[in-house]
Amino acid sequence: MKLSVNLPRGLVLKNPIVAASGTFGFGPEYKDLVNIGDLGGVSVKGVSPEPWPGNPPPRVWETTGGLLNSIGLQNHGVEAFCAHDLPFLRDTGTAVIVNIIGHTVEEYQRVAERLAKEPGVSALEVNISCPNIKQGGMSFGHDPDQAYLVTQAVRKGSDLPMMVKLSPNVPSPAVIAEAVQSAGADMISAINTLVGLAIDKERRRPALGGTTGGLSGPAIKPIALRVVYEVAQRVKIPIIGMGGITTASDVVEFLMAGAHAVMVGTVTFQYPRRMQEIVAQLPDELLRWGFSSVQEAVGAALPSKRGGLFDALT
Amino acid sequence: MIHLLRVPIIRREEPAPGHVELWLQSPELATSTPGQFADVVTEGMLRRPISFSRIDRANHQVAMLLQVVGDGTRWLAAQRPGTMLDVMGPLGNGFLPPAPARDWCLVGGGVGIPPLYAAVQAWGTHTASRPTVILGARDQQLLLLVDEFQALGCVVEITTDNGTRGRRGTVEAPLCDWLDSHPDGQVYACGPTPMLASVARLTQGRTGIFLALEQRMGCGIGACLACVIPGYGVSGQAGYLRVCTDGPVFRSEELIFE
Repeated sequence: MKLSVNLPRGLVLKNPIVAASGTFGFGPEYKDLVNIGDLGGVSVKGVSPEPWPGNPPPRVWETTGGLLNSIGLQNHGVEAFCAHDLPFLRDTGTAVIVNIIGHTVEEYQRVAERLAKEPGVSALEVNISCPNIKQGGMSFGHDPDQAYLVTQAVRKGSDLPMMVKLSPNVPSPAVIAEAVQSAGADMISAINTLVGLAIDKERRRPALGGTTGGLSGPAIKPIALRVVYEVAQRVKIPIIGMGGITTASDVVEFLMAGAHAVMVGTVTFQYPRRMQEIVAQLPDELLRWGFSSVQEAVGAALPSKRGGLFDALT
Repeated sequence: MIHLLRVPIIRREEPAPGHVELWLQSPELATSTPGQFADVVTEGMLRRPISFSRIDRANHQVAMLLQVVGDGTRWLAAQRPGTMLDVMGPLGNGFLPPAPARDWCLVGGGVGIPPLYAAVQAWGTHTASRPTVILGARDQQLLLLVDEFQALGCVVEITTDNGTRGRRGTVEAPLCDWLDSHPDGQVYACGPTPMLASVARLTQGRTGIFLALEQRMGCGIGACLACVIPGYGVSGQAGYLRVCTDGPVFRSEELIFE
């Protein structure tokens, strides 16, 4: 079965399963456990122009069906990434998606310009939706005008295929999606984590060092599907869907909601090889629901594709 | 080499209230160094990092002594011999062996005691003198592995917060005494962070002081940057170190205690 996915500006994923940013390190960390070349792509942890220290610990807290994190985008900066991590990744045979972050519009553009010069980068993922930093990050993703400006600046800085990662912590992610599409984004990735809080009863204070954190894992899957479904009806550019995926069955749901590919994250911590297992199981799962390729399943649940009797009546 | 394994529980003991020790049959895990750990799947979203209390290379067995603190450890503590566990390991950097000619002392608090027992099992008879072991707990019932340390020939000093056994108070007083009488001694410590902070303070200026840390952990292999603690990286600059892959055993001079 054809699992490959063709995306804008010549970006090709050998299959629609991509490691989600923040859950797969900067590339080499999982090399002894995962055959990285079997994955459709890897989106690395957020990379900024200069090193960022991240938030005080504790940085993770388990919740029912989910995981709350407040890492705070710790990274060693784009120069160290290009020198130490990228050379490993570009030889793995997977699509290398670099998640980029900044405190200002100019910083986003600087990272994009730097990465545009570096061989082996397949695409950029512009992170305007991280809930764990005080300046920049999610604030850009909450306002359509700000989101437009960041996207435009990254577009100016690089011709690489570019996706913009949306926040679910806004009344209408589709409005942000429209803004970044008009600013030149090639794709949307959605969703980032939801802002949450946990309480440490023993210490009588919020559990995470950063007070609030971003919720991921199966608990957020229905919200992610809703966002993908809404955004798919408002923009023409492809969507990489994510949020709580743990099985091939989940992947088919995201494809049917309108995603062209998916990212898998939190489950990797528990089962490092789950992404490879999903790739292996996906053909059977697609066939089970009557699809003979990934492409056929994309958007199958959208109103425009359904066209059944019920839709005709309503 | 890190392995993803399915390993059987072959024995289960309850050494103290709220504590369970599980023996696992696994040639791969039995190659571990004392201080290393394994990450075990439970019911939650994250594995649980647990260090080894015993490493028996000859018989391809390890044991994990855990305290029930939440849902994950409660699930694990309820498992019985015959159950297969989904385990990733061995993980992290263990202790370095003590210098053969130097005296050494192990300082353990609560559920930090078990990895020290693995260290004494591995190296206790190779050094010039049998090590001194200082164990602390809130109450005498929560002291772990006291008889086992004594059986290996260690001098065991005990402190309890409530004075139900040994000296009343923390491990600090007996550690000060030992340090005074062993100016070139090495210390291996594992326990609550305030205890490790005082060990680091009292041993300042000495070499060969190893501290094993605990932190809320995500991936266990260095990718997610969740389990960090303040310290000095290879460049000497202050920043965050990963307990999972930079540790969990650190030299005391690498760490910053607030």
